[in-house]
Amino acid sequence: MSTTRPVLRLTALAGAAALTLAATAAPASAETEVPEPDSFTSAFTVMATPDTIINPDGEAVPGEEGATGTFTFRVNSDEEIICYDITLQGVTGEYESPAKTATHIHAAPAGQGGPPRIAFPNPEGDDSSRTSSGCLQGPFTTGVEADGADTGDGFTLADLEADPASFSADTHTAEFVAGAVRGQLTEIPVGGVDTGAGGLATTTEAAGTGATAAALTGVALLTVVGAAGAVALRRKA
Amino acid sequence: MTRPASRRRRRAAAVAVVAAVLLAGCGGGGGDSGDGAAGSDDAPAPTSSGSAAPGVTAESSDGTPEGTGDGDEPVRVEIPAIGVDEAPIDLGTAANGELEVPEDPDRVGWFTGGGRPGGRGPTVVVGHLDAVDGPAVFADLPDLVAGDEVVVTTADGTAVRYVVDRTEDVPQDEFPTTAVFGATPDDQLRLITCTGPYDRAIGRYTENRVVYASPA
Repeated sequence: MSTTRPVLRLTALAGAAALTLAATAAPASAETEVPEPDSFTSAFTVMATPDTIINPDGEAVPGEEGATGTFTFRVNSDEEIICYDITLQGVTGEYESPAKTATHIHAAPAGQGGPPRIAFPNPEGDDSSRTSSGCLQGPFTTGVEADGADTGDGFTLADLEADPASFSADTHTAEFVAGAVRGQLTEIPVGGVDTGAGGLATTTEAAGTGATAAALTGVALLTVVGAAGAVALRRKA
Repeated sequence: MTRPASRRRRRAAAVAVVAAVLLAGCGGGGGDSGDGAAGSDDAPAPTSSGSAAPGVTAESSDGTPEGTGDGDEPVRVEIPAIGVDEAPIDLGTAANGELEVPEDPDRVGWFTGGGRPGGRGPTVVVGHLDAVDGPAVFADLPDLVAGDEVVVTTADGTAVRYVVDRTEDVPQDEFPTTAVFGATPDDQLRLITCTGPYDRAIGRYTENRVVYASPA
């Protein structure tokens, strides 16, 4: 993904050959950009604001006044895939973070700091609006080490599903290194909304008369089996 | 119902109960509750009340406000163009990750983990298109068009006027989660019901009608 390039430029030697960059900055265990899966096990959203920033010393500090961020995550924890739709409004200037990108999910409850667990491609755009969308498959690495291990080590999306409120999302800039905007994850529904029982649907398949009832039942059973199979394929494919 | 229970990720203890309730829920439910209007002053449960009572979906344990913004709880939803005037019930997230739906086809519900009228984020209101034996509370929702008005009154008495921006039919298995439920910096309203072909094999409609509205 092209959005990783700025980080490479930040963290690697300027002017080094592209091949060298790729070799040194992409550990084999790092997350990979993947297509969107066919189904999700959960979803979360974040309303990020500048009045929620906590610095590394655990102190509340201001973020970028007037800026907002919306982060919506769709998770398939079976496949360890997280899809992200991020929009920043009013976040200005260059990104800056010791991690490999400056846009993260942290293990950090409201009012507390905490280490990054996932580093997302930084939203791209101008100072009024920046966006970033895609899907990453773990295991995840952040490029930040604590106690000799990457802060993404051992983290799985099941952790996020188990206690979303203990995770935050944010983005860091040169002017607001502790965070320009931040917010906590809240769960939202996934999938469609099952608001109908068929009473207004076409009635062409309604029960037949006695003479054909048995045959219709057989056909109906076959139809049910076939359709159920098709649905299963659609959901799993 | 059809979603495989093996996909469920947590609240394991509640899964069996919820699965059982879902079997009798929206897909085939409502047959004996078509007269639900009589009970409109009660607090009817959503279909999977065994799992996701209001407050379960968000971090309420430490008193942190639910949802993604301020505003206040909706207590009345009026859609003059289709003759809807209802008191919404609370809905959370079911064990399979989907939005709960009202058990009573004559009631509308709102997602308590999202936005609230007058605050940031989308307030999401849903209602059934039909029961097994006829139309339900949102039978005419597909008739709404851009420019129609929706008034949502909150618990503090504020009436927030919304105007329909657009409507959209979406496949239920490719539901636009971010567009419908994702946080927004401003006040938004979404109205949802079913539409499209009804799949009798799985006992549910295959599409949703989504109505997007913003403050007038």
